[in-house]
Amino acid sequence: MSATDTSSRVSRFRSAVAEGWTRERFGVLGALALILITFAPPFQVYLFTDFLVVSLFALGFNLLYGYTGLLSFGHGLFYAGGAYGIAIVLRDLGPMIADIVGTGISPLVTFMIGGVVGLVLVIIVAVPVGWLSVRLQEIYFALITLAFGMLGYSLIIQDPAGLTNGTDGVIVLLGTVDLGGTSLRIGGRRIYYVISTITVVAATYGVWRIVNSPFGTICKAIRESPDRAAALGIDASHHRWMTFIISAAVVGIAGVLRAGLASVASPGLTHWSTSAIAVIATVIGGATYFYGPFVGAFIFLYIRWAISRFPALEAYWELFFGALLIAVVLFFKQGAVGGLLLLRDRVLGNNDDSDPGGRENTVDPGEQASAASDHEDEPGNDNMATDRGDDT
Amino acid sequence: MTTVLKTDDLRKQFGELTAVDNVSIEIDDDKITSIIGPNGAGKTTFYNLLTGVLQPTGGSIWLRSGDQNELTDVTDAEPHEVAQAGLSRSYQITNIFEGLTVRENVRVARISHEGTRLDFRSRATGDESVEADIEEILELTGLTDIADTPCDTLSHGEKRTVEIALALAIEPNVFLMDEPTAGMNPTEVTEIVSLIRELDADLDATFVVTEHNMDVVTDISDRIVVLAEGAILADGTPQDVLADERVTEAYLGSDSV
Repeated sequence: MSATDTSSRVSRFRSAVAEGWTRERFGVLGALALILITFAPPFQVYLFTDFLVVSLFALGFNLLYGYTGLLSFGHGLFYAGGAYGIAIVLRDLGPMIADIVGTGISPLVTFMIGGVVGLVLVIIVAVPVGWLSVRLQEIYFALITLAFGMLGYSLIIQDPAGLTNGTDGVIVLLGTVDLGGTSLRIGGRRIYYVISTITVVAATYGVWRIVNSPFGTICKAIRESPDRAAALGIDASHHRWMTFIISAAVVGIAGVLRAGLASVASPGLTHWSTSAIAVIATVIGGATYFYGPFVGAFIFLYIRWAISRFPALEAYWELFFGALLIAVVLFFKQGAVGGLLLLRDRVLGNNDDSDPGGRENTVDPGEQASAASDHEDEPGNDNMATDRGDDT
Repeated sequence: MTTVLKTDDLRKQFGELTAVDNVSIEIDDDKITSIIGPNGAGKTTFYNLLTGVLQPTGGSIWLRSGDQNELTDVTDAEPHEVAQAGLSRSYQITNIFEGLTVRENVRVARISHEGTRLDFRSRATGDESVEADIEEILELTGLTDIADTPCDTLSHGEKRTVEIALALAIEPNVFLMDEPTAGMNPTEVTEIVSLIRELDADLDATFVVTEHNMDVVTDISDRIVVLAEGAILADGTPQDVLADERVTEAYLGSDSV
């Protein structure tokens, strides 16, 4: 069944082109692109940073949705958790940290401590929230996470502990690092882009490792059939809980970056409409693909930007987006990545799997159902039959 | 001969209805046992009790766990605990990881068996001994040729075989097969029956089968247990059980055809 069966030159040329896109070359090109963007106009640098942060937000969300099969409508809670964690550290502990490490590098140290505090805060919140939520499935899971997100929203606005500054949120001042004469403003667009890129690339690599680990394999099994997984000795509920915490932590890192980018940690981050951004970006990009959230976030942010270039249309950008979402849900069940891969297969005229994007091997069940039911002419079926015949 | 699975007065009630009525049974490791009965006889409920999906109203379930000689009480165990203790099952309605390839399906079971499910730092494919075990199971079940095919593109018969491969991959002491030939055409039935025979000869697992196809039942079973209205109606060799008038009556007297 492999591509080598076909001997025509054309197909060999095509597969050579396809194989040219190795993971290494893709990586090098990606790194070059990321470096080139530092030379872009400031607004474009800002927009691209925004894209990276939203991507990481959606990537963390998708660990739970695309990989484990749980649709959370409350991941804004962890986005906000990371953002408020760093914002409060910057506001309340900045001077203290400056006393200890000296004013020169204190903004950077404060930023890093704030990031860690944001991450720890998110994990502390995610442990009980996840434990309660994973007991439910499907729509009930979506609803309970939505409820936790909105609970967080209310708490942040009402501010019972006097930490979150109500509806105004906490202003984030990242400060300037002074290294023997060279001063670097952390909040500067290019510097912040570099910090975000390094963080997002590292976090993405971490998530990639997780989804390709034994842990991630079990996540996919639970997505496909939780009771089957349990019948093989897997504590599905516990595994979901662990995935929930990891997913929240990744979203928390995105939240930390969001605070610095927006210069404010605001209650809106935990509103359901923010949680929905992760859902929409993932669905548009393709939840079954590792890079789906990136593609979805890219489409989301750049279409919004493109529409904003036409002031007459800007007020209706959500309408455009709604239409796009409907189109994707109706016609591209595998999202934009699925559509692109389909296009690639059409253009290259092959079906091989040597793609660079770390594509997942899930296939649209709807499209395959007809093929599966028509099993008389499956080559594998005949092979198996003859094998068995030989054995007995 | 060793007892690998035992129930003591196992009982399940749904309100007024007694679905499983004081069933006491011992399964021995040297036989293929079939559990049959007309529709509504309580077979499915009995399976769900054994596998921890349902909690019994009364009675107890004992299972040989690992290499232990003493039976372990699994009456109140969760499904995953029952599976870890050594009881594996296949489903009447195919229940496999459709979106994954055949090999990945088996890998899931092996990861579970190895106890490495929380390992998020290694590569899932990185453990050579696990990969070799997967290969062995694929070979044993004749799935090697389609190992890298996504399961949702497989034929029904192939999916049913994956179902068996999955259940075996956790090296159970007891393997409950729920209607292994469900929905199969005659050729596929012949194949699966010879596969079950081979596996029973090759493996330590004790096979317990429920089945509607009476030819298959008489063909593979060393012992048949007949359930009717939740209780054991007959229990013995295929010849004895099929000659039993009460059995014929139970089948003809029910709604099943």
